[in-house]
Parts: sequence; C-alpha cells; structure tokens
Amino acid sequence: MASVHDSLYFNPMMTNGVVHANVFGIKDWVTPYKIAVLVLLDEMTVSKCISLLEKRRLNKLILPLLQGPDMTLVQLLKTVEDCCPQLAYAVHLRLHLMADGELKDMESFFDVLPSPFNETESEAHKSSVVGLFMRHMVLAYNKLSFSQVYKLYKALQQYYKSYERKAPPASDATTDADMEQLAPDSLGRKVEKQDLDPSPSDDDVASTEPLSQKQAEYFLAQQAYFLKNDENKALKPAGLQNELNNMLKFNPDFAEAHYLSYLNSMRVQDVFVSTHSLLHYFDRLILSGSDSKSNGDEGYGRSLRYAALNLAALHCRFGHYQQAELALQEAIRIAQESSDHVCLQHCLSWLYLLQQMKGSDSTVLTEHSVKMAVHFSLPYLASLGIQSLVQQSAIRGKNAKKLINALKDTDILHWKHSMSELIDISIAQKTAIWRMYGKSTMALQQAQMLMNMNSLESVNLGVQQNNTEAFTVTLCHLAELHAEQGQFQAASEILKHLKERFPSNSQNAKLWMICEQKIQFDRALNDGKYHIAESLVSVISALCKTEGLYRKALVLKAQNQTSEAYQVLQGLLVYCEKTKCTEMTIRVMLAIAELYWRSSSHGIVLPLLLQTLALSREHHLQKLASETVLHLAFSQLMLGIPEQALNILHMAIEPILAHGAVMDKGRALLLVAKCQVVTSASVPADQRHQALVVAIQNLEEARSYFDKVDCRDRVRDIFYLQARLYHSLGKTLERNKCAMLFRQLNEELPSHGVPLLTRL
Amino acid sequence: MAAQMDLVEIKRQLCGIVVLCRERGLAHSCKWASELAFCLEPLPLSKLPPPAQFTEEDAQDLDAYTLAKSFYDLKEYDRAAYFLRGCKSQKAYFLYMYSRYLSGEKKKDDETVDSLGPLEKGQVKNESLRELRVELSKKHKAKDLDGFGLYLYGVVLRKLDLFKEALDVFVEATHCLPLHWGAWLELCNLITNKDMLKSLTLPDTWVKEFFLAHMYTELQMIEEALQKYQSLIEAGFSKSTYIISQIAVAYHNIRDIDKALSMFNELRKQDPYRIENMDTFSNLLYVRSMKPELSYLAHNLCDIDKYRVETCCVIGNYYSLRSQHEKAALYFQRALKLNPRCLGAWTLMGHEYMEMKNTSAAIQAYRHAIEVNKRDYRAWYGLGQTYEILKMPFYCLYYYRRAHQLRPNDSRMLVALGECYEKLNQLAEAKKCYWRAYSVGDVERMALVKLAKLHEQLNESDQATQCYIIYIQDVFSCGEILEHLELSTAFRYLGQYYFKSKRYNEAFICAQRCCDYNDAREEGKALLRQISQVRGEADPASTDLSLPFLYGPLSATNTPVRRMSPLNLSSVTP
Repeated sequence: MASVHDSLYFNPMMTNGVVHANVFGIKDWVTPYKIAVLVLLDEMTVSKCISLLEKRRLNKLILPLLQGPDMTLVQLLKTVEDCCPQLAYAVHLRLHLMADGELKDMESFFDVLPSPFNETESEAHKSSVVGLFMRHMVLAYNKLSFSQVYKLYKALQQYYKSYERKAPPASDATTDADMEQLAPDSLGRKVEKQDLDPSPSDDDVASTEPLSQKQAEYFLAQQAYFLKNDENKALKPAGLQNELNNMLKFNPDFAEAHYLSYLNSMRVQDVFVSTHSLLHYFDRLILSGSDSKSNGDEGYGRSLRYAALNLAALHCRFGHYQQAELALQEAIRIAQESSDHVCLQHCLSWLYLLQQMKGSDSTVLTEHSVKMAVHFSLPYLASLGIQSLVQQSAIRGKNAKKLINALKDTDILHWKHSMSELIDISIAQKTAIWRMYGKSTMALQQAQMLMNMNSLESVNLGVQQNNTEAFTVTLCHLAELHAEQGQFQAASEILKHLKERFPSNSQNAKLWMICEQKIQFDRALNDGKYHIAESLVSVISALCKTEGLYRKALVLKAQNQTSEAYQVLQGLLVYCEKTKCTEMTIRVMLAIAELYWRSSSHGIVLPLLLQTLALSREHHLQKLASETVLHLAFSQLMLGIPEQALNILHMAIEPILAHGAVMDKGRALLLVAKCQVVTSASVPADQRHQALVVAIQNLEEARSYFDKVDCRDRVRDIFYLQARLYHSLGKTLERNKCAMLFRQLNEELPSHGVPLLTRL
Repeated sequence: MAAQMDLVEIKRQLCGIVVLCRERGLAHSCKWASELAFCLEPLPLSKLPPPAQFTEEDAQDLDAYTLAKSFYDLKEYDRAAYFLRGCKSQKAYFLYMYSRYLSGEKKKDDETVDSLGPLEKGQVKNESLRELRVELSKKHKAKDLDGFGLYLYGVVLRKLDLFKEALDVFVEATHCLPLHWGAWLELCNLITNKDMLKSLTLPDTWVKEFFLAHMYTELQMIEEALQKYQSLIEAGFSKSTYIISQIAVAYHNIRDIDKALSMFNELRKQDPYRIENMDTFSNLLYVRSMKPELSYLAHNLCDIDKYRVETCCVIGNYYSLRSQHEKAALYFQRALKLNPRCLGAWTLMGHEYMEMKNTSAAIQAYRHAIEVNKRDYRAWYGLGQTYEILKMPFYCLYYYRRAHQLRPNDSRMLVALGECYEKLNQLAEAKKCYWRAYSVGDVERMALVKLAKLHEQLNESDQATQCYIIYIQDVFSCGEILEHLELSTAFRYLGQYYFKSKRYNEAFICAQRCCDYNDAREEGKALLRQISQVRGEADPASTDLSLPFLYGPLSATNTPVRRMSPLNLSSVTP
C-alpha cells in the first residue's frame, strides 16, 4: 500500500538501472564556500594594494583552499586575515553586500567573474589552476536551474548569517534555552538538538551535520589513516560508527564508508558487522567499477577478485582458518582465470600467512612468494615476504648471519622505495631477533634507533610518531630489557607511556599487557611473593596460553608443589615440541631440570641439560645457552666435580656479564663463588686463603646484582655464605656483620624450606 | 471472538469513520473503510449513523474549512493551510496541520530533483516537520489532540526517526480512535518482531483483528494470518475484496500457488478494475508460465491505467516471460520512477539483469531492494545467485545464509546453500543442507536427488538408496512427474544397488521401470538381461512381483497426468 507518506527517494539521475551520482559529469558544485573563495580570488586579481609578502602568503594559501573541504566563513576569513587583513575585510564586505542584497547581486557577480582571465597576461590565466577553478565554477553555476540558483542564494545567506551569529554569541544562548524547553524527555533531547539546531557546527569534523562530498572523503581518508597508524587519534569505535551510519543515511552510494565501517568493526572484533560492511562495500564497488568505462569489464572483474581476497583476509583475522582457506581458494581461482598476476601474488602472500597462522611450515610458499613478487616488481609484497621468512627462519634456528643479511638487503629496498611502515617493522623485527638471540645490547640499540627515528610519514598529518604495531613491539621489548637490568622505574615509565599511546581497548594493547604482566610476575617471583605471582598467572594465561602455563609451573615449583609443576611442564613440553616453539621448549626443559634437583637426582639431569644446550646452540639462543651452562655447572658442582664446573662456567660467564639479565649475572657469580669455595678445599692452605678472598669478592658482586632486583631471598643466602667464609678466614668483625645482616633478613623473610645449596 | 461481531454496529461505525476521514482528506483510510463497509449489508434508514455533531467552533470555521478543503483536494496545500490558520475546531486544525505536512513532503520530493550536489540529495528534509513537531507536542502535552491529531503527530515523529516515541503515540491514537486504519498501518510499519507486537497494549476492538492479521502477514507468520482472515470471513466479511486480496498475498508468500491463483481470480471477478496487488498476481502467473493469462492481465491493466507501478510490474513480468528482458527491465525501471521505494520492482529488475547477464547492474538493483527493505529475502537470494553465476561459491554463501535466516523454512535457499557447499567440497555441510531442505518441504523436489547423488559420490550406497526411495515415493505420491531424468537416475541406481546386493526381485522391478524412460532404457534392458542370466531363467517378463515400498508409485506412473490450469479451478475458500 503505497501511502502518501512514503518518503520518496526519487532519483532522476538513474539510467539503465545504474545511479549516476554525478549526472552532469561535474565534480564541483557551487557552494557558498566556493563563492567566498571566488570572491577572494576576484579581489586578489582586482586589488592593487597588496604587498609582495602578502601576495606570496596568499598564493601559498590558494591551493589548500581550492582543494580542501568546505570551511565556515569564520575559518576562511581568519585564514585570509592571517595573510592579509585588508583583503579579508574586502571579502567580508563583498559577501555582506551580496548576502544582504538581492539575488541579482549574486547573479551579477557571476556575470562579471569571467572578465579577469580573459586578458592573457592576467595571473588567473585560463589554463592555470585558478583559472580552471573559476571556469569550473562559472560552468557549474550556469548549469544550475532556476530553483537551484535560488537555493544557492539562500544557502549563501545562511552561510553568511551563521558567520554573523558566531560573532555575537549572546543570541546563541537564547535559542539554546528555547530548545531546552521544547525537549520533552532525555531521549528526545539529543535528537531534537540535532534537528532544531539550524546552524551548522562545522568546527569539528565529527559534527552531526551532513558533510559535503569533499568533507566526507577527507573524513574517511583521515580516519582510515588514523586507524592504521595512530588509533588514539581516530574517533572511538562507537562514535565512528555513528558518524558512518549518518553519512550512509545521507548518501547510501558512498561505498568507502562501508569499508571504513568494516575496519572499524574489525577494531572491536565484530564479525557480523564487519562481514556485512565488507560485502556491502564490494557490492557497491563492483557497481562503480562497471560504471567507469575506462577499464570496463576489467575493473569489474578485478574488484570481484579482491572482494574474495578481502573476505579471506577477514576470516583470517578472526581466526576462521577453514573459511579463510575456502575464500582464498576462490580468489586464487578467479585470479587465475583472468590471469591477474598481481592479485595472485597477493593471494599467495595471504596463503603463506594463513599457513603460518595455522602453525604449519610455509617456508617454501613464502620463498616462492618472494621470488614471484620480485619478478612482478611488487616491492611491498616482496619485503613483507622476506620479513615473514626471516621471522620463520629465526624461530626455526636458521643461519643467523644470513638472516641479518637478508634484513639488511630488504632495508635497502625499503629506503629506496621509502616504505616507512616496512622500515619500522624491519627495525622492530631486528630488535626482536637480537633479543631472542640473547644480545640485549644489540636489541637495545635497535629499539633506540626506532624510537629516535622520525617516520617518513610524520610530516603528513602532524603525527609525531606513528603508533603502529612495530612501535608497540619495540617499546615492549624496551620495557622488558630495562626490567631485566633492574631498572624497574624506567620500565614502568615506558609502560605508562605505552598505556597512554595505546589505550587498553586499542588493537595493540594486548602486547603491552602481557609485557607488563610478565615484568610484574618476574619481580614477584624474585621477591618471593608467590601469592602475587599466582594471581598474575591467570591474567597471563588469558593473554597467552603457553606463557601462562609456563608461569603457572614456575609458581608451583616455587611453592614446592613439585609433582603438579612436573605435570604441567611435561604437558607444555609436548605441546611446544609439536608447535616447534624452541625458545619455550628450552625454558621448559630447564625448569624440568630444576625440578630434578629437588629430588637430588643430579645425574639424571645431565643428559637433559646437554640436550638443552645442543638445542639452544643450534638455534643461536645465546642467553638460554648460557643459562643452560649455568645449570650444567651447578649439576656438576652437586655431583662433586667443581673443577669441571668451573671450567665450563668460564664459557658462560662472559656472555652473561655482557648481555645477561641482572638476575643471571648474580646467579652466575654466586655459582662461581660456590665452585671456588669447593675447589679451594683441595688446595694448599695459602692458596686456599686467596681463593676464599676471591670467592668473597664474587659473592659481594653477586649481592649487588641481587640487590638491584630486590631478590632478598638470595641476598640472605649470600650473607650466610659470606659469614661462613669470613669465619673460616678468621675475620670475626666481618663475619659478625654478615651474620647480623643475615639474622635481620631471616627474621623478615619467611623460610620456604628450600635448602640453601640445592638451587642455582 | 470474531464470530460475535455485531455486523450492524460495525457497519454503522464504518459509515461514520468514512465521513470523518473524508472530511480530513485521509484518502487511504477512507478507501479502506469504504471497501469494508461495501461488503456488509446496507443499513436501513433508521439505522444509519446520525451526522456528526456540529459545534459552534465548527460552524465558525465552516467557510474557511470548505474553501481550504477544496484547495486541499486540488493539492494546493500551502493555500489550504493559509486559509485555515486561525481555525479552532478540531477538524479544521487537523486539516491545517496535515496540509502543512503534505506541503512539506511535496516540496521535499520536488527539491530532490534539483539539489545542489550529489550529497545534498539525501539531505533534503521536510522543513516543516520540526515546526509541526513542536506545535503538536505542545498540544499533545495539553491533551488537546484527538485521534487524528495523534495520528499526525505520530507520522511526524516517525519522519523525524523518533521511532520509539512514534510507536507510543500511534498506540495512543489507536486507543483514541480505533476505527482509523491509517494509524494501525503506521503501527504495522514500526513493529519489527513478534515480541514487540506482544508488548503493546492495543484497544480490544474488531479492527484489532484486521490489524493482527495484517501484522502476521508482514511478520511472515502466514498460518496465523490465514487463520485470522478465515475467522473474519466467517464473521461476515466474506465479500470483502480487501480480505480476499490479503489472503491471496498470504498464499503467495507461502508459495501455495494454486490457492493464491484462485483467490486472485476471485478478486478479479469481484473487482475487475482493481490494480492493487495485481503485480503479485502476475508473479504467480509468471511462476506458472501462464502466458495467455498474463498477457490478458497486462493488456487489461494497461487499459485501466498504464502509469501505475503495478501495471508496469505486470508488463515487466509479461516481457520477462516472453524472454524480452531489455523491455522487461525498461518497464521495471518505469515502475521505479513512479515509486522508487517499490521493493518488488527492484528485485524483479535484478532478476532481469541477471537474465541479461549484466551482473553488476543486477547487484546494484538487489542492493537497492535491500536498502528499501532489509528483510527482503528475494534480493539476498538474488545476490547469492549473482555471485554464484560469477563462480564465487564461497562468496555467495553469505548472501544465501542471509536469505535463509529470513526464511528458515524455505527449501530453495537451503538447496542453494547445499549446492555451494558441494562446490566448495564441504560435503558434510552440503548433506545437512539438503536433508534440511527436504525436511522443511522441498518445493522443487531436487534436494533428495542431490542428497542421494552426494551419498553416491561418497560410496554410502545405503543412504543413497534410502534417499532415492523417498524421492520416488515423494514424486509419485503427489501425482505428477516433474523430471523424468531424475526419476530414471533413481531407478537406474536402485536397480544396480539391488542387483549388487543380490535382491533380484527388486532389481528386476527397478530395471523394468528404467525401461519406461528413454535415457535409461538401454541400461534397464542390460540390467534385465543380467538378472535373467543370474537367475538362469528364460523369460524375465513372467515374474510378476511388486515391491511393497514402490507399490504406490508404480500404479501412479501409468495414470495419465492431468494438469489443470489453475485459472479454471473454481474458487476455493481456504
């Protein structure tokens, strides 16, 4: 039943079932703002009293004015005033006359407008940017129908009035009060405000007023850029969605808005809306693709292929691997049929990514992808492929030299094509790789480099540094590196900064969350506050399952729940070996070794530790290798071969002191001291005395390290050892001092019943 | 409840409301009420409702009102409003406000044509809405609005997208003046689901029955709707063309084509110059490929009024049936120019573009249809089909799923989904879809064959056999042979199956059946030969066994199929 009330979205611009948004083929429409700009240009050509400096400033202003989105008159006049006050006044005056006058004033303005650029030596020559703009405008104006001209004039008056209203703010307040009275309830109020407020509030882009085409395009581009590079600056998800819905309500054909809506719902992990928006976007895009005759069927087919590919990407991001694979297959099939190599290349890179996400080896695919990308000269895809390849190879323990070399080569490529995003990623990756290899100094250096580097894109939108994932990763590494060195204050500063830059609901927040938890956990464990550590485990598990399990085992181990810890670790070991997660495997094996010590089965530990050592060496994991050596030495010490232990300790002590965490340094020195004490028993008395002094010195150094990380538990042990040594050296004074300190600590700290000597 | 309706009282009420609506220029409500009134027995003079009370205010405003009403009838809304501006009486006030509203709407539509830019096109607003809202809300607060005033207030609120408030006001309006059908219709537009319907407290009158029936149709609760209409007919509205048309539409929605066709024929007999709903009728004729009837209908409607949306749709369908798709698309476009919010035309145009292999235009048309109504399952289905044609089976899954969500019990979507899954090699999913399609009542009877073939492919011969058996029973039980090819396939497979499992009697019968079909005859004969070899019998024809499970079908095949044209069916009341 077609009732009279049905809103008629009558569209006269429709031919052949396709709506042409642009029926006359004119992109520019005359708007009040454009008239103001025209007035400005006219004034500039006419007036003679502009100084050279002002002229230069104005000329610089013109291009942004012509190409930018519509501004309010207030903004426009202010910008002009900054350059040339008297010209601003002149423009104001002419607009005032036009708006306060009659329709004929506007008509006559357009009548006289063409005259300046008829002269050949005029600055506004026909083919110049300004001349072109003026001609466009005159053409657009001449095409307007009678009623449209009148409407334009009305709009101009409105435009001018809103400027005048802005000047005395008193009148605004009264209308506001009126509105308050009208609003019957809170729900109606908001809508009413939007509806009743006749003045366009264009101050911020996020206004509820409908945007003009250019404004809308600008808004979308800006938001999309922010979403990618600096999520904080983008609107909140709900706000952005509102804005988009608003935009789509006014212009359902604005396909890009659907895409942004897709990105936005990806942000909040909304599968339903994002799928819907994505498909809607491509439905629309397919139309516009077929609309433009330039690439005809080609453009249409092309968007189809990318539609399927994007759908695959969507499923991939949500972890729907099976669906992603199906969609990808589809994209590949269509791309193959139309032999679109670029699209195929994109498909291939998603394919290896998908394989990687599913946890299977995709090295061959990636290599192939890189080769093909190079062949089709797609540098972006090529270096993405190389980066991915490097990451995989690093995890699989491939030749480190080659990897670093490969990264260096891609870096050259990046700089050549100035792909700043990839440069960031590359540096972040290097940081991570160095850190994984246990070269903290190198990692630190790379991290600092990224921090101090000004991004290439920073010039664009006034973003100082891009808040991308690469930055998050690097900052997290930085925080962890500082925490390792006992500089907790610095670490917490970094974390605070991270929290500011990436609020907890943003996409990259997960990264710093887990980093923060890990740091806290380590501290709590070192400090012997196991209950705190235990509470942190659940948080870590929520963020990363394997890490959570590992930490759980550590807590259990510390609380002497050996069998439970062993069970957890065994399960984890199987899982890690299956997923080829070498780093974690080694850590788990070390933890298992420590569990064996509890039962004093040092002999059993040795093969396990040797295996660990081989594994970590194979993967170039220096930090873990040194730690394994420490474990090995300790086992040997316990087995009664301290000389042997000292021998192998020399291997580890150097890298540990150079790159290791403070905790590791302390432990290493403590172990060295212990070994020295034990070996001294078999040497002559005079040498023995000397050896003990050296041991005491080592202990002293270890204590300073433990102090740094608040590991008072171990400090107490050291005091005990020192007291004993001083005693045997006969230094009563020092002995008493150490004994006293030991007493103090011993009273403060609960005894967990872990015998002093049976731990590393 | 419906049976106890006092028809005389209803008739009186209807006569009264017709006058009231006409005075206020509410043409559609007036039409509805008159249509209903017409189907009831005429009242004797003594029972006729007395003319409405004339107050002092009315008398004062009479001249202004009469003048304004004549302007209003000539669609000069501003002029009407101008002369009514000082009037106090309710009637004049309503006409005043309504004229202003309509004037705003008219201007809005005119504005859209020459807007100042592509983006402004959607920004055109009815400028008078805000003022109207302010004035009406003041009156509303002062409880100064009568039923019609409330209705107008509700319409204004709805236009301002204040749906919640609008809903409350319309409910109030129906309480205040239950006879005004327009308010009910607006309510219909605002209610989106069953729970919402239940949560409203509506006046308990006979109009509510009509409303509920209409609402059920909208919410695709066809069974309930039909029940309501049936009880209304029993209550004495049997001659109402409105009810007949609604029932016909309801049957159309559940694809009960024969019943729907008979209802429409009845409707045409009673109201030969009716144009409303005829597009639905033409859809039915199209589905049944009844060319002469469709042609007759098209010509007839064209004679009555060729510039109506419905007429254009009918002609479009006609051309489509004649495979002149360009012309069909042209007529659908014309329909859309007459009313761009005509949902059916968008979808149908999409179908035409599909036929013309212009997929991008088809997608556009379908998307437009979805924009007009998100719940249009045909458009979703059409989009799915388009992408399927573009060989993107995974991509179209989404669209089919949407269509399926909207029509969970429609086998076509399920079969389409199943086919897609089959193409994607997701056979388990495909099987589920086909089975479900069969369970919800397969329209095209293809689901089982497809399921059987899937089982065949997976070497699950027992299940395949089961499916074929059910399929054969199904086909024969409804008394018509739809596709010979599939039947022969079924028999051929069954024959082979029984032969392999050494159940020669069954195999024999199936092989015999095979011989009935051209494409399977040779194989049937070969199988017969094999069977006779194995049995070592000379004359295979001498065995005369019948299978219990195929008993029905066997006899059915021999009877000639009668296909009666639904147009010849006598009118059956459902």
